[in-house]
Amino acid sequence: MKNNKIDRHKDDINKEACVHEPAQHRAEHSHRLFTHHHSHGEGSSIDYQAYHSKIRGWNPTFKFLFTCIALILCIGLDNPYVSVTTIVAMGFVSIVLGGVSFHDYLSTMMLPITFILLGTLMIGIDFSLTPKGEYNFHFGFFYIITSKSRLLHMGAIILKVFGAISTMITLTLSTPATEIVGVLRKLKVPKLIIELMNMIYRYIFVMMDTYRQMKESAESRLGFVDYKTSLHTFAGIASNIFVVTLKRSGDYYNALESRCYEGELLFLEEEKPIKAVQAGFAVLYVVVVLALWWAT
Amino acid sequence: METIIKIKNLTYDYNQRKHALRGINLNIYKGQKLAVIGSNGAGKSTFFLNINGVLKSDCGEIYYRDELITRRKLNQLRKNVGIVFQDADQQIIASTVMQEVSFGPMNLKLPREEVIQRVEQALAYMNISEYKDRPPHYLSGGEKKRVSIADIIAMKSEVIIFDEPTAGLDPYNTDMLEEVLVKLGHEGKTLLISTHDMNFVYRWADRAIVFCNGQIIADGTPLEVFRNEEVLKRASLKRPTLLDVYDMLIEKKKLCQSDVYPKTTEELYALL
Repeated sequence: MKNNKIDRHKDDINKEACVHEPAQHRAEHSHRLFTHHHSHGEGSSIDYQAYHSKIRGWNPTFKFLFTCIALILCIGLDNPYVSVTTIVAMGFVSIVLGGVSFHDYLSTMMLPITFILLGTLMIGIDFSLTPKGEYNFHFGFFYIITSKSRLLHMGAIILKVFGAISTMITLTLSTPATEIVGVLRKLKVPKLIIELMNMIYRYIFVMMDTYRQMKESAESRLGFVDYKTSLHTFAGIASNIFVVTLKRSGDYYNALESRCYEGELLFLEEEKPIKAVQAGFAVLYVVVVLALWWAT
Repeated sequence: METIIKIKNLTYDYNQRKHALRGINLNIYKGQKLAVIGSNGAGKSTFFLNINGVLKSDCGEIYYRDELITRRKLNQLRKNVGIVFQDADQQIIASTVMQEVSFGPMNLKLPREEVIQRVEQALAYMNISEYKDRPPHYLSGGEKKRVSIADIIAMKSEVIIFDEPTAGLDPYNTDMLEEVLVKLGHEGKTLLISTHDMNFVYRWADRAIVFCNGQIIADGTPLEVFRNEEVLKRASLKRPTLLDVYDMLIEKKKLCQSDVYPKTTEELYALL
């Protein structure tokens, strides 16, 4: 724990010293800092990508609506060509325009791969006691059967799911959570939900940090030395987190009140205008997708 | 001198058994640089929350510019007295620096242009304009502290309270903080700071009050306070190193007794 504090402390100083250095150098440094943060679970990598996206300056409402339309088209038109176009177009937006590295994009896309494969496998194959399918694989007393049309169907569904996921990933990798909440506010989602979203997002990181500190201090006292101890320690940390949360919520409320909080969280939101090129791109995309659907 | 806050017989308790504040009487004058000292749990933070209007006691009166603060007028106090909390994470509520700093001005129901202008000014003042769009969880401790100070600067309150501002800061950030304090002092702001750094109190403050068990046991210039052995003992305070050194030099006849007390090492050097 102590060591770690010193490390962090060093980093703080490094970072401070960095303020007057050229921008490029700083960018490298902040990346290094990110890995530092990441290794301690202080920030998730999707969150980090969103804040450093090159298209973060685009109007969030535009991004939200564009990706939602792309999502609806991808699912609604139910056409493998449209799915492929969606995947390619969203990959282009995220990687080329947004500046996410190909590897990071791919690994984010692959997060739900297990669910998708498990979910679609049963569409592609079937079990039978007799070899009645187009293709049959013998397994002792039963057969796994499948057919070309079944496999194509499975492939189409996988493409559709990936297309749908790619639209949402494009949104999350280019738009920080607060801006998405801002869009929802404009779309008249109830204030209570909006404020809860804002506060949960902010305090997730505070809580994660607190949890990490407690865990590290328990670890330094051999709190995770074996399975039984680990369980005991985890229970202790969990109940401690609860007590700390309760206490701190009072402190946070005091801090809010000291700045004239009157029951409504008011923040300034930046206005980011939509550029003609961006709108043009969106319209072009929709036209291409509809044309593809009509042609096939 | 113009009285900005007047406190009469303020008593506050969190529960029936123990009083956090017991009969505080204090006048705070405009433009004063006030150091609030005392051990942990002496009532400093409770005192701050009371004069900021977050806590309201049933006992005692607080006047802001001769206006009695009642329960209905608490916001009057909150508007004019800003408080920078000890733990920046306790204060930061929004998810980007810009939104965070805008929170106070937005609550003051200022027009949008004014809010934008104030936010930009405050960020520039604290030298954090480039962090505008960053979320607080990607900032270091020192940077978070600056954000929490910008929060209050954007509200343009006349009185600013700093609750142990140097706690957990590295020397670089501590220096930065002191610069900001001096700058704010020059602008005529009334500043109240609680700290355990007696050297800082000695060098910066023009008035020091000592809290002990919820009471003010000393009130005067830092020099008066630090020369009062009984107060130092009761509140278990340490004298500033420079004052000790100065007294030793006089005792050993290296310096002749004068009314000039050096407040910095440079001043001492000039005397020698």
